[in-house]
Amino acid sequence: MTHRMKFWGRQRAFYEAQLRLTLAAKKGLGDPVLGELVVLRASQLNRCAFCIDMHVGNLREAGVAQQRIDLLPAWEEAGALYSERERAALALTEAVTVLTDGFVPDEVYERAAAHFDESELAHLIAVIVAINNWNRVNVAVRQPPGQEL
Amino acid sequence: MHWAKLAPEAFKAMIALEVAAKRGLDPTLVELVKIRASQVNRCAFCLDMHVKDARKAGETEERIYLLNAWEEADGFYTEKERAALALTEAITVLTDGFVPDEVYERAAAHFEEAELAQLIALITTINAWNRFGVSTRMAPGQD
Repeated sequence: MTHRMKFWGRQRAFYEAQLRLTLAAKKGLGDPVLGELVVLRASQLNRCAFCIDMHVGNLREAGVAQQRIDLLPAWEEAGALYSERERAALALTEAVTVLTDGFVPDEVYERAAAHFDESELAHLIAVIVAINNWNRVNVAVRQPPGQEL
Repeated sequence: MHWAKLAPEAFKAMIALEVAAKRGLDPTLVELVKIRASQVNRCAFCLDMHVKDARKAGETEERIYLLNAWEEADGFYTEKERAALALTEAITVLTDGFVPDEVYERAAAHFEEAELAQLIALITTINAWNRFGVSTRMAPGQD
């Protein structure tokens, strides 16, 4: 797989704005491990190798159990490995990431709203949007995993 | 929910993304790309806004209502627009198969590298607005 273009070096203003979006979203959410689980799950759905590599690394560094990382693609079947709050966030992540397969259903939104206050929920959505942005660009330009942006 | 009020720093960053993404691109093409991504992501608020913007900018009715079937609409869109629309669809629907070489190369044949980077930034940004719009059920025709 060839790296198609050094996008981020070219698009400095876009990069700065994307970084601001990501940092503001994460700060407002205020739960770094949950944020990393969400971001890894979106990257799996969008099949962004660069992003999966980065966020698996971040979760490991944060001391998250390997089993919680490995079973994330099957979180719904993985019993008590993920808290109810994490499960609500992961369901929302999948709905917001895959818009082409059926909107964001009321039950998914309400499940998240039961676990996050309104500000946290707005920032959780922003975290999901921000990782979708990183995923889209990095897949489009075939950003190589394990290298600097 | 009113996400922009609840997450004002994220909203400001979105505006900065939007400004950076549009820079230097043909405004006619920008609206076509934004409408098509909003159709694929089914964002009513975004679709309403960008169809109105396109009309205001003098876009023809045919080119607006045929956009949903642009591949079949011979003669309505230039080869450059078609290459951009194919790239828009590929980058918008990542879960259905990456961004294939032929789609990327078709775009690269019509857009030089700096312009192609702008186009990728634009497609990414409208996808971001679509996600906020759909997840918070922003109402079409309102601010």
